[in-house]
Amino acid sequence: MVSGLKKYFRRKIVIRPFVQGFFFLLVGLIAVNHTLAETGASLPFLSNASLHALCPFGGVETIYQYLTSGTFVQKIHQSAFVLMGIGFLLAILFGPVFCGWVCPLGSIQEWFGKIGRAIFKRKYNHMIPPQIDRWLRYMRYGVLAWVLYATATSFSLWFTNYDPYFALFNFWTSEVAVGGLVVLGVTLLGSLLVERPWCKYACPYGAVLGVFNLFRIFSIRREEGICKMDGACNRACPMNIEVSSVKVVRDHQCISCMECTTEAACPFADVVSFSTGGKKK
Amino acid sequence: MKLTSKPLAAIIIVILFGGILLTANLGWFQTTTTKIPVTYQSGEFIGQYNPVDIRGSYLFSDIGNLFDVPITDLQAAFLLPAGTNPASYAVKNLETKFASSGYEIGTASVRLFVAFFKGLPYDLTEAVYLPKEAAQILTANAKMTSEQATYLAAHTVDLNQPAALPAATMQPGAAAQPTVATTRPATAGTPQLTPGATHVAADRTVTSKTTFQEVLTWGVPQASIEKVLGGSMPAASTVIKDYLAAKGLEFSSIKTALQVEVDKTK
Repeated sequence: MVSGLKKYFRRKIVIRPFVQGFFFLLVGLIAVNHTLAETGASLPFLSNASLHALCPFGGVETIYQYLTSGTFVQKIHQSAFVLMGIGFLLAILFGPVFCGWVCPLGSIQEWFGKIGRAIFKRKYNHMIPPQIDRWLRYMRYGVLAWVLYATATSFSLWFTNYDPYFALFNFWTSEVAVGGLVVLGVTLLGSLLVERPWCKYACPYGAVLGVFNLFRIFSIRREEGICKMDGACNRACPMNIEVSSVKVVRDHQCISCMECTTEAACPFADVVSFSTGGKKK
Repeated sequence: MKLTSKPLAAIIIVILFGGILLTANLGWFQTTTTKIPVTYQSGEFIGQYNPVDIRGSYLFSDIGNLFDVPITDLQAAFLLPAGTNPASYAVKNLETKFASSGYEIGTASVRLFVAFFKGLPYDLTEAVYLPKEAAQILTANAKMTSEQATYLAAHTVDLNQPAALPAATMQPGAAAQPTVATTRPATAGTPQLTPGATHVAADRTVTSKTTFQEVLTWGVPQASIEKVLGGSMPAASTVIKDYLAAKGLEFSSIKTALQVEVDKTK
């Protein structure tokens, strides 16, 4: 028997779906409560803040106007700035955990992905040729630049017209734009073929948080000396990162979901961990 | 130092909600805009809140607090039905409320009402309409200038008497104003403006919806626009009013200066 073998079957990070479900429900209920508040019938124990007030990317979008004019882009509030700061703090510590654990749009893509996985089995999430996929992954930085430029020059939340996150929690209101609904629809359909397509190829906030992967404190680390190179970590990664080829995952697409670690996919004890670079005790 | 999923989940929740709680206690976590309108920068009313900055998200109670206009007057002026809480009524809802009336009664109408109620200066070159009930309150309040009173008479609509002609006909000598036709067909069941002429600004007239591109198209050089702005022009597709609002500048004065530049090109 191989020394250190922990298990022969793949496990999942059990707590993560609960956290994702919690935030999905919370944001959804707040969005509904916001609509109710406009009719004077909101639930008193729940926030009725607008979705813009609770979106950390709103803080990123308004940075330019805030620095140049001291004002926020219309519909953006100070809370978005605070959430942006909290998101950055989490990202410095743990990488884009907001994407992997909190973001409701990421969560719903994963849930749709389960259907896709059931249909396409092992082909799922491997349909785009790697040489094309590799370059498409940088497209989200283009989207980020585009959104920031358009916001800075139009002085309005221009991205709302295409934002699938806004559409997801406002499809019942007149505020949602057709463009947003179309992008949401394409994203959810795409999730049947590819894991988290919006996150991988287009999310501007994911692009911002992805940069933190380069210098985050807690990272996915692989012990080369005891790794059996069975590729379980690679297969488990929703973002198709080749975990088995690096000592420390610094890929800009990592979402800190921990699915590759010894706690989940890796069958060997202490091989892939979520840790700092310090010495073992 | 290693971390497993359960402690990580706990840390994420603690940092997220702890951060929100902490900043809320410090007064930083504000999920609504601190509604402080811009103030007049010059003239007799310098330092006073300018109604031009009233936004659709303002509640009637905000307007009451900021401009000292009785909420009951706002309720009566904009025909809120009994049972509606006027304090929590958002200005942006008016547009929907009056959508079927054929008149564009919305945020601009509230701005006009507040300005006239307080006797504050307001840009009269755009066609903004008020219900008859609002006009009666303003007349009784008697704070309008004679010019404002004349404007009001020309921009009052009676939403309860569809057969009657509205008073909103253009006054002689008001050539600089946007061209509006307000004659209501005698057969109309609901108040309507003449088709094709509904609140359309006259050609080459700078309005709240005009973009920099339109001004350029009308033949005004970019240099002239930038001279008026006192700085570089943003993207041509930007709505002038939105740009000025973001910069904290008053639309009416810039608009007048731009209109002068537009008129020079005729």
